[in-house]
Amino acid sequence: MNNALEVRNLTASIGDLQILRGVDIDVPFGEVHAVMGPNGSGKSTLCHALMGKSEYTVAGQASVDGVSIMQMTVDERARSGLFEAFQYPTEVPGVTLDDLTAAMAESNPDDGAYAEREGETTRLLSMQPFRSRFVNVGLSGGEKKRSEMYLLGVANPKMAILDEIDSGLDIDAVREVAEMVEAMSDDKIGILIITHYSRILKYMSVDKVHVMVGGRIVQSGGPEIADNLEAGGYTELQAANA
Amino acid sequence: MSPQGFELTAPAISGTNDAAWMASRRTEATSRLAELSMPSEREEIWRYLDLDFEPSFDSAPSGAGSAAGADEMLESWEGTVVTVVDGFIATEGVDSVSIAPSPTDTVAGTDLFSTAYDALAPGAAFISGEMLSDPVFVDVQGTNGATTFPGVHVDVPAGTEASVVVRYRSTSDAESVVVPRLTAEVGDNARLALTVIQDWNYATRAMGRAVINLGRDSGLTLSEVGLGAKIGRLHLDVNFIGRGSWAKIYGAYFGEDDQTLDYRYFMNHIGTNTRSDMFLKGAVEDDALSVFTGMIRIETSGQKTESFQTNRNLILSRGAAAQSVPNLEILANDVKCGHGSSVGPLDQDQRYYLMSRGLTPESADRLQVRGFFEEVISHIPHKGLAPWMRERINTKYITAQEEGRV
Repeated sequence: MNNALEVRNLTASIGDLQILRGVDIDVPFGEVHAVMGPNGSGKSTLCHALMGKSEYTVAGQASVDGVSIMQMTVDERARSGLFEAFQYPTEVPGVTLDDLTAAMAESNPDDGAYAEREGETTRLLSMQPFRSRFVNVGLSGGEKKRSEMYLLGVANPKMAILDEIDSGLDIDAVREVAEMVEAMSDDKIGILIITHYSRILKYMSVDKVHVMVGGRIVQSGGPEIADNLEAGGYTELQAANA
Repeated sequence: MSPQGFELTAPAISGTNDAAWMASRRTEATSRLAELSMPSEREEIWRYLDLDFEPSFDSAPSGAGSAAGADEMLESWEGTVVTVVDGFIATEGVDSVSIAPSPTDTVAGTDLFSTAYDALAPGAAFISGEMLSDPVFVDVQGTNGATTFPGVHVDVPAGTEASVVVRYRSTSDAESVVVPRLTAEVGDNARLALTVIQDWNYATRAMGRAVINLGRDSGLTLSEVGLGAKIGRLHLDVNFIGRGSWAKIYGAYFGEDDQTLDYRYFMNHIGTNTRSDMFLKGAVEDDALSVFTGMIRIETSGQKTESFQTNRNLILSRGAAAQSVPNLEILANDVKCGHGSSVGPLDQDQRYYLMSRGLTPESADRLQVRGFFEEVISHIPHKGLAPWMRERINTKYITAQEEGRV
């Protein structure tokens, strides 16, 4: 069986600035992984490089469910089953969440189940009041994350990368986000959580933790790695990989 | 190539039914017309316009062409319909201001087009009194290539509410010059919801003039949608005469081909405690040009005025351009004013975000354009017209996308 996500020797740079220096990650279907790392380690770049944002020069291999995404445009990657929940979801004034999901369905006519998933995810995340509001406009930090999780549910991806899904949230909101991620998780999806802090991992279980320092994964293992980081911070790992 | 003087060889308007004030205004304007030439593009107010054409005032018709029937918009209209064809009132029972006992409109324009209007307009449709108990749709049609002077005057009595739509359209492809005038008097404590739809054909040069006077504690909600015309000009004055008067002004315009859409909006705050909000959004593609000049003028008498203007423009093709010029002229010392203006391409972050949701780039851009205008269209007081406006604006963009023009 294919992995939901396979990344091999992924490098990414902006201009002369090398940010990713060869990243390898496998996320099997049905698993939730976390990438942790200090600021500037390349966590968000990993998200955008995989999504295909045009600012980055990217090399290496990445595939979703065995299909290489490296030559695909951003929207092709999305329709191939890759989803990125943004750290700072972009405001789209004048466009409601319903307008957006309608356009998602229209852009992907082979998938006839959008309406059904809108209904289900609306109930699951209590989204009804948000669907007629403009996308991300005037939403609180927690509401934006909820809106991203709603779009994840509607898009029904094979692989979801959640960039700093817990940043800027108070502790109740972090717990809610963790519950939403758990609710979305099943054996048809791989999930990668990008986070600076280990606190979200207190409210949900992950199968594996990868530590990113200086554009590389320097350590991978079970959830206990997060506990060690909690105690010792990133300083030691940064020094060892400088 | 401005000809010197526009002497009328055969005045088309007999004016035999004119009230005295109208007759003397007509005579005076006719003689002034002989002295006037085309305005100069060197004057700020005419800058950006290609005035290299000769309006043929002698071609002003002596009667209406045949009126076109109701289109979809009129069929779904619930209210009164007044038809004006080639400048003449074509609906029975609607009076012309030309027979009103006292002067109605207060346009003080002395330029060529205003003067030609004064000399040659048969007389504006007088929308007032009983007629305003229902919403009124004024369907202004141009049928041929003649130079015409359609007028509409709305008189909202004190303490009443009125709802008026004025829609300009061509019923042929003929190249023509039209000089529309729209005036309104909003009485004390009265409300006017006014929507103007400019939908002339792309061969029409429309040199529009509008003046709206607001009485004490009166309110105006004005929205304008600019779609058509080769030159679509609207020079608007809103005069906040009565204390406590206010206006909310929304505009949406979309230029393509070689269209020029030229908006000159003047908010003249004369009374104290008056308030104006202008919010206009436009897009241009192909070789189109849009101009928005918003002038907020606050007289020494206009203390406690609050006045804001925002104008945002999308440039969708390399050959297109938008001029956005906010101006303030403040003579009072206790006021609040603000303005914002922007001109730029579609937002790259929005495109990336929408594409990351699986939307094709074309679909992402269409959604962004639609959202851009939605912020204006959702505020238009005549909600029933909003679907039509959305459809027309989005079709312009989608067609250009399909033809590879954007």
